[in-house]
Amino acid sequence: MGNRPLKFRILEIYLDEKEHWNYEIVSKIQEEYDMKGDYHRDSINFDIIELASGGMLKDIEQKVDEEGIYKKGFLLHKYVITDFGKVRGSDACLRYV
Amino acid sequence: MDLKALKKQESKRKISKGYMWALFCAVFWGIWYLPGTVVWVLNPFDEMYGAVAETNGDAVSLVVTAVLITAFNALTVMLALMVWNGVLQKFGELGRTLKEFHPCSKWFFLASIFGGPVAILGSFMAMGFIGGAFAAVAALLYPVVGSVLAYYWYGEKITKRAAIGIVVIIIGGITIFGGGLITELGAGEVPWIGYLGGLMAAAGWGIEGAIAGKGLDISEPDVGLTLRFLGENIIWWIIIVPILAIVGFPMYSFAIQAFEPLTLLVLIFAGITFGFCYVSWYKSFPLIGVGRGQGIGNLYGLCAIIFIFLFFGDVPQWTILLGGALCVAGSFIMFTEEAGELETLRGE
Repeated sequence: MGNRPLKFRILEIYLDEKEHWNYEIVSKIQEEYDMKGDYHRDSINFDIIELASGGMLKDIEQKVDEEGIYKKGFLLHKYVITDFGKVRGSDACLRYV
Repeated sequence: MDLKALKKQESKRKISKGYMWALFCAVFWGIWYLPGTVVWVLNPFDEMYGAVAETNGDAVSLVVTAVLITAFNALTVMLALMVWNGVLQKFGELGRTLKEFHPCSKWFFLASIFGGPVAILGSFMAMGFIGGAFAAVAALLYPVVGSVLAYYWYGEKITKRAAIGIVVIIIGGITIFGGGLITELGAGEVPWIGYLGGLMAAAGWGIEGAIAGKGLDISEPDVGLTLRFLGENIIWWIIIVPILAIVGFPMYSFAIQAFEPLTLLVLIFAGITFGFCYVSWYKSFPLIGVGRGQGIGNLYGLCAIIFIFLFFGDVPQWTILLGGALCVAGSFIMFTEEAGELETLRGE
């Protein structure tokens, strides 16, 4: 089970510098931290939104969730880490990797 | 629905939620000055003030009493935030974040030094000696301190627009402080400690914001703010209150007397309003941006004046009204520069 703060872990995942969809990250975190249910799903997604608004992730692509893989009829977002995110992320995470 | 319409709908939802949180912040923050002012005339604090004043003089007594009030404020804020974290099921995250001392939680403890013994203590001193409206409006100067600090510390640029805002806020500040001072100099008695408290509130909150931001951007704000108040409780209840007791002030005998219904009720009211104004402030930032969040949050100055008028019937001096209006206007000028850019607030 995950033992680091959620945003540390999210940044850590994005530090691979690849693009990830929010639903991939949310379900990965839900599994790692054993956080089931819609409430935790939305709460983890809000963490991603906060990281993006703090300039650490960048929202690069959106698509409509037609099949309901995350939330049917809502937008899905794809993010990539920014330079600032890399700095903050490696301050916080890299010592442990 | 197509992509474009959904995008529009999502951003609309984000913005209206963000404004709602920011307004909550302003209202809660403004209301806080009611219990903050009332608590001074309640037992045991008014008795304590009288008792300490007899032996150590008014000035020392005011500060010592303000310390005990601020310590209780920190305690009830902590209680309110623990309930909040319980409801949001964030105790696990609280523990995980606390353990990350070096990259994260040390910033909250550092921030609590400036938030508690400087800003909140200063606010209570200003409320006790001058009044709630002055305390509220004087603290509106905090963005000036914050942005000057960010300039020297992070090398963050101060844009032309922000500079204009800062000048307007400073003119507002001069009006607030100067207006009161001139009247009181004429009367021959100036409550210097109250004015010092007002300056402490502005400086303390400006510094707190700049420091806490370092930890808050990589943690959940609900959790981060709770740790910041954990730090403040440690400072008051484990360091300052015992030291004052050892020096000889009757801290514990009066602290125990605070556990009477009316006083507790007022203190809990202060804790809830203060705790939630912090929480809702930070909730608004990712939704509408730090700038707009702070700009609207600063309407608390106006809210405080309105609530104090409604509940106490006090109309503040015209200089406080004018200065407060200038400060609110200045913070809007300062903070609304990133209009149109809602998704990313920094970098890029």
